[in-house]
Amino acid sequence: MMKGPRKDHEHHFKEQGGFEVDISMKKESIDDEFTEVPPADEMMVFLSQHIGPEAEPLVKKGDGVKYGEKIAGKEEQDHMMVPVHSPVTGTVQQIKDMPHPISGEKGRVVIIKTEESKKCPFYEPLGPASKQALLDRVREAGVVGLGGASFPTHVKLSEKGIDHLIINAKESDPNLACDVRLMIERPKEMIDGIKIMGKILGTEDITFATRTKEGETPRFEKLLKKSDINIARIRPNYSVGSERLLVKEVLDKEVPSGRFPPYVGAVVHNVATALAVSRAMEGESLVSRGLTLYSKKTGGKNLWVRMGTPIEHILRYLGASPSDFERIALGSIMMGPTVPNTSYPVLKATSGLTAFTSSERYPYKKQLACIRCGYCNTVCPVDIYPQQLMMAAKKGDVKRLKELHIEDCIDCGLCSYVCPSYIKLTPHLRRGQAHVKGDAVEDL
Amino acid sequence: MKGDQCEMSDPPHVHIGFDKNELMLKTFLLMSVIAVASVAIMGIEALIHILTALGTVLITHNVIYSYQRWKDLDPTYGSPASPLVAGMIVALAMPIGGPYEVTAGVALLTILVFKYGQGKYFERKYLNPAAASKVLLLVLLSAMVIFEDPQRTGMLFHPHHLRLDLLSSSGFEASMWIFSGETLPILGTELSPAQSLLFWQTHGWIGGASGIVVLIVGAVAAYWLRFKWRIIVSTLVTMTVLAAVTGLYLGGDPLLRIAFHVFTGSVIFLAFFMATEPQSTPMPGSSQYMFGIGLAALTFVFQLTGVLGGSVIALVILNMLTPLLDKVNLKIPYGHREKKRGAS
Repeated sequence: MMKGPRKDHEHHFKEQGGFEVDISMKKESIDDEFTEVPPADEMMVFLSQHIGPEAEPLVKKGDGVKYGEKIAGKEEQDHMMVPVHSPVTGTVQQIKDMPHPISGEKGRVVIIKTEESKKCPFYEPLGPASKQALLDRVREAGVVGLGGASFPTHVKLSEKGIDHLIINAKESDPNLACDVRLMIERPKEMIDGIKIMGKILGTEDITFATRTKEGETPRFEKLLKKSDINIARIRPNYSVGSERLLVKEVLDKEVPSGRFPPYVGAVVHNVATALAVSRAMEGESLVSRGLTLYSKKTGGKNLWVRMGTPIEHILRYLGASPSDFERIALGSIMMGPTVPNTSYPVLKATSGLTAFTSSERYPYKKQLACIRCGYCNTVCPVDIYPQQLMMAAKKGDVKRLKELHIEDCIDCGLCSYVCPSYIKLTPHLRRGQAHVKGDAVEDL
Repeated sequence: MKGDQCEMSDPPHVHIGFDKNELMLKTFLLMSVIAVASVAIMGIEALIHILTALGTVLITHNVIYSYQRWKDLDPTYGSPASPLVAGMIVALAMPIGGPYEVTAGVALLTILVFKYGQGKYFERKYLNPAAASKVLLLVLLSAMVIFEDPQRTGMLFHPHHLRLDLLSSSGFEASMWIFSGETLPILGTELSPAQSLLFWQTHGWIGGASGIVVLIVGAVAAYWLRFKWRIIVSTLVTMTVLAAVTGLYLGGDPLLRIAFHVFTGSVIFLAFFMATEPQSTPMPGSSQYMFGIGLAALTFVFQLTGVLGGSVIALVILNMLTPLLDKVNLKIPYGHREKKRGAS
């Protein structure tokens, strides 16, 4: 059953429990047209930019590489592996190990000296083709989910028995607007990508889930209607961006704990991923993407950036200095991990950069004692009890963690967001999950 | 950018509604409104009780805070807001007729044993600090019925309360003499016992001097500061129902019964400002209802048996049940609901 539009809010997302998330930053970014950032002199390409095993390098120091050429990912590697491509034409200067900006674990990085910034698709355009040929191209072009999770797109598109394709254009993060901007600037390519995804999955039941109001992206909506794609206007809140909750919102079906949307016959793809699929058919590897950079100093900027571009290069291009900022998060204001320094690059999963000046205090520096106010469980979109889970995680009480369903945490960060004692609950919950899985548990 | 100082996994953060210290400060300010009303109604004695309690907690807090700073320890309470709230609760939960030394004693026990001590040794507060210290001290004092003037020893209840017959119609109405004869100043309006209980009491808990003031300030606090409102609602509704049913079955004007059982300070003040203390009360919504119902039922039994300030004992009992109530009535998380529905 499709649900209709609900009450909209101009400046806030209203969460469960009545808490409001300020989205004025998003509003500020929506009107900013994409600016293309030229590549840096040295590009830093991580070989693990997706969920799955790291791609094996196909190049060595001194090799010349072309824009869009595959530099890592052997055919015989695991099905979950996604190839990585060169974002510039140049020479491989070095392959080294560095801490990964998201996992913190060591990963291999290919450093490429840029010799030419021209963009010429490496692959030939793919004309009418079989489902398998389309799927192969998606993988070969290195397409992963661009909403933030970076799950291999070809794996999701290989699912059988799918009745519904849901395109997630919710863009829930309160300071990101790049997806909406892409819908305004590149509607045809996006819809082509959506149709290709539908074709590969073998379903015509496609729903475009958006929080935008009617008329906000007129060209895009016109094309959607022309293509017989349903539009579901989702209530404007943050947590519904989670694909499990989006399935419930759109189809009124609950994805059981421990399962994924295909279990209920649905697949969810991000709207920016559809654009990447479309570009892959034109011969473009996934070496660049749209993202929103937000800081109080620069305001909201929508940028088209090549993966591997150091953050400091982007800041300088915008006329800012890395020293202007105390802290930079790779991603949105709610979930993005802080990067160790600005030499770190943009990854495939980087939908945003959030830069904080020293005048913006970091609230978790001085955590106060928990008062068990319960705001965290009031606001939790999956109805678990973060405070009780934190206490169980501290004690390593696996039985209690299981009773409280630690496995259902979607890591949205809302519990930390509302905590009046500035307690960062999410790392405790991740530790709780590690306890249950029997994984190594890091000290906090 | 100070990259080396950043942790890899720190998420960013930009907005919090209000923090714990602001929550405490706002709670203190709202209770101050009740305190002003109490002083206006009960007089200078109420003010002395309030200053005694606040002074005791502030001095104790400052001594501990200074010691912690001297030893280079992280202060347990960086702001005096939380100790001040505890002191104000102690003051407003004391009977106006009690001695000031007892107020000071309860305040000292509250801050030292049940606030600092409980938090340090159990990593949370299982018992409401003010209620626990009042029970501990006043039960001891109450045992001293051998004193010639027991009221002056600051007993939890007065011996004459034990002789009250609240179960019969005539006994109940005769017991209400204490609320008779109150007159609203300036207007000169003489108040009935029910009106007195609602607007102007010179008897009982300091915090309950004006039931209507507590009701209004408490409602504002519950909404603004997001108190555990289910406890308040279930306590007051249960108490109202029990009072009305008792009135209908045992006699006595049901409205007067409701006014008496709901608007005595030990119920109305406790329901808003003590029973909602977050650490010692349950988290699941349904368990909060159970907590409130249990609190009202126990308090009602204590009231009918003449232990008119027994609500603090009821609260401590319910506090002890909180770890159990935290384990029941949990919401079913997303991903388990349809399985549950299918099973039923």
